[in-house]
Amino acid sequence: MIRDITIGQYYPADSVLHRLDPRVKLFGTLVYMIALFCFKGLLDLGLITVCLIALISLSKVPFRFMVKGLKTIVVLVLITALFNLLFTPGKFVIWSFWKFQITDTGIRNAFLMTLRLIYLILGTSLMTLTTTPNQLTDGLEKALSPLNAVRVPVHAIAMMMSIALRFIPILIEETDKIMKAQMARGADFEHGNLIRRAKNMIPLLVPLIVSAFRRADDLALAMEARCYNGGTGRTKMKPLCYDAKDRRAYLLCVLFLAAVIAARILLPFPQ
Amino acid sequence: MIKMGIIKTEQLVHEFIRRDEDQNVESITTALDHINLDIKEGQFIAILGHNGSGKSTLAKHINALLTASEGTIWVDGMDASKEENKIDVRRRAGMVFQNPDNQIIASVVEEDVGFGPENLGVPTGEIIKRVDESLRAVGMTKYRNHSPNKLSGGQKQRVAIAGVVAMEPKCIVFDEPTAMLDPNGRREVLKTAHALNREKGVTVLFITHYMEEAVDADYIYVMENGKIIMHGEPRTIFSRVDELKAHRLDVPQVTLLADYLKKAGLALPGGILRRRELVKGIVKAGWNAAGLSPAAPEDGKRSRKQEESGENGQDLKPDAIILDHVNYCYSPQTAYQIQALKDVSLRIPQGQFIALIGHTGSGKSTLVQHLNGLLRATSGHIYVDGKDIYDEDYDMRSLRGRIGLVFQYPEHQLFGATCFEDVCFGPKNRGLDQRTVELRAFEALQNVHFPEELYYQPPFDLSGGQKRRAAIAGVLAMKPEVLILDEPTAGLDPAGRDEILELIDGMHRELGITVILVSHSMEDAARYADRIIVMNQGTVMYDDVPKAVFSHYRELEAAGLAAPEMTYIMQELKEQGLSVDVDAESIEEAGMSILEALR
Repeated sequence: MIRDITIGQYYPADSVLHRLDPRVKLFGTLVYMIALFCFKGLLDLGLITVCLIALISLSKVPFRFMVKGLKTIVVLVLITALFNLLFTPGKFVIWSFWKFQITDTGIRNAFLMTLRLIYLILGTSLMTLTTTPNQLTDGLEKALSPLNAVRVPVHAIAMMMSIALRFIPILIEETDKIMKAQMARGADFEHGNLIRRAKNMIPLLVPLIVSAFRRADDLALAMEARCYNGGTGRTKMKPLCYDAKDRRAYLLCVLFLAAVIAARILLPFPQ
Repeated sequence: MIKMGIIKTEQLVHEFIRRDEDQNVESITTALDHINLDIKEGQFIAILGHNGSGKSTLAKHINALLTASEGTIWVDGMDASKEENKIDVRRRAGMVFQNPDNQIIASVVEEDVGFGPENLGVPTGEIIKRVDESLRAVGMTKYRNHSPNKLSGGQKQRVAIAGVVAMEPKCIVFDEPTAMLDPNGRREVLKTAHALNREKGVTVLFITHYMEEAVDADYIYVMENGKIIMHGEPRTIFSRVDELKAHRLDVPQVTLLADYLKKAGLALPGGILRRRELVKGIVKAGWNAAGLSPAAPEDGKRSRKQEESGENGQDLKPDAIILDHVNYCYSPQTAYQIQALKDVSLRIPQGQFIALIGHTGSGKSTLVQHLNGLLRATSGHIYVDGKDIYDEDYDMRSLRGRIGLVFQYPEHQLFGATCFEDVCFGPKNRGLDQRTVELRAFEALQNVHFPEELYYQPPFDLSGGQKRRAAIAGVLAMKPEVLILDEPTAGLDPAGRDEILELIDGMHRELGITVILVSHSMEDAARYADRIIVMNQGTVMYDDVPKAVFSHYRELEAAGLAAPEMTYIMQELKEQGLSVDVDAESIEEAGMSILEALR
């Protein structure tokens, strides 16, 4: 169940997307998100769909993996779709009951919102599946390094992020184990009202927190033993530097955004 | 100045001072008590001792992670207590820790290996070169782009070692690197440490509580209560068997048997370390071994087990659990699909002591989680007391009360404010009244011999062994008819391990509980179990009395398991033409049989 989250799970493969500089991918994801929330019309939709499909096939990540990430947001998508469907006022009312009404605009909005959310998850998963968490934090660290000037500890934040990413799967596994161990002692995590259930979580949360602290302690010691001393004087094993393909990718991102905006202005129909 | 060794300590003292909220000293524990060491470059040093003997504290001093209360420690001629030497000391003396998960920083193997050199400010090209070389040195090049989460314990430790090697230290301290590993993982790590010592000339300090890992060391230190109580070459140390036993160290079976035979008058050389030496020694000594009398067995424990298992073999009690063609598949229809159990059928009668053996990934943990319904078989049936637990109206929660499952590292599930409260959790969940709950908790704590003064202490401050007792009591308080323990001795030192095993054996005998002990260790199985079930790749490979299982020692080896050391010794002696009893399990049995054969 909780094991199915794809976000933050790197899929090792050798593709153009895997080799791109993480900063390009971050930028690309940003552009993609902007495009998703400002597109209008079938042409735009087609453009984005074609790009997404092209990128997914370029990434060499099996489509199943991306769909797995979607499973976790099914509920969210359904709720959003339902709200849009039932509460949007519009010209033609197809069906109405008490405060609910289904209109043509409602149907369209529900459809678009669902599509947006699915595309959003697919696109961002694509980035995290092709970028190791460390590359990602490296990318963020470098991209945000101007913030150092205003005393934001960018290096420390990046380090914390990469450690968090490393330990998420371990802690998930541990949660699973403790849960089973308490169930073996007759614990019940599924029944009862909200308060009861929250109370029943104590036998799970206390050992989990204790273990997290123990791990943090161990890790801090191990890092110190390997001469970690903060960001100063560090070199990089894989320093980020752009090459020709990264520049081309930047260009493509900009072109993509321009095309989406152009299509929005020139051909916003049918909405 | 005379050239000093790479690590030298002089009257090194370390005290852990506990203070209360007002900074008043509550208690002082002397972890290191005037330690004097002088370790030459290029040596392989083993440091033996129990948990709490101070060996890990010593390791942290060598790495400048702790500062001495008194005395001095020099690493490669530098005073490690000086703040300005810290980084230099750490780059010369690297350290590998016990827990393989908690020392890997990056999410990709090669990036983790590069972490140390990055911290040292090594130029990029050079880092890549060092990472390549380090991964090659530990044999992990193939996994360089893998995520550490998908590796085995032994492989993770090798990654951690590579991470230290990449810093090009002169000396590496291994702080119990094998304590949390299975036998295969232990061998991998030990082999890697020796290879580094031999091929790269790295000085190795190998801290462990397993004596057999010290056999190939150049020099051994034995620590207890913060002091060095014995030191010398392996041969000298291993010949002092009685002393080692008195310090409750885990003397290898070869050495014990040699000691037994020597005491019976056989002319063996002192300090035998390896099987081959012993076999050769016995054959040679055999020529003039007339008129020897075997010493009386030391205790009657072993013969008792034999009698009992004989009885059990005669009239089988009713089956507590029956497994009927059980299959189980993890993450079906995904890339990670694993068939963990394949067509497993078993009968488990009441009152047996069963050892379930298999290497990591053989399906043994998956199997036991089926027995109390935590995992549901993909196909097949499980009957408990004749009822199918997959029937719709079956009460799963009462099943979990009747079949108690103690997980690996059970102390990680403790959560109560006091040990007593924690033990009450299980019976409380069964909906019993307060009085019965407390009664059961008391009984359970007494049954695991938990010291009474600790009943109302928070469980988190206890020693590893005590925590484990409390956790076992937590399951025992449910009054299970069947008690399943998943590697209950993992991570304990030999003394703690023996105590827990004795405890389980006691509960089996006195409370009549059916016990299923999941373990890697054939030695433990040989000592306690009436029946051994060997799992391999999700199937039952053997299911028989210990002697019968061990006779397949060659097949066991092919499956990544080993028969007890004793089986090998006896088999080799037989090949040498001695008519010994190859089924002998204990030292006494084997010793007597050898003396008999020589006469």
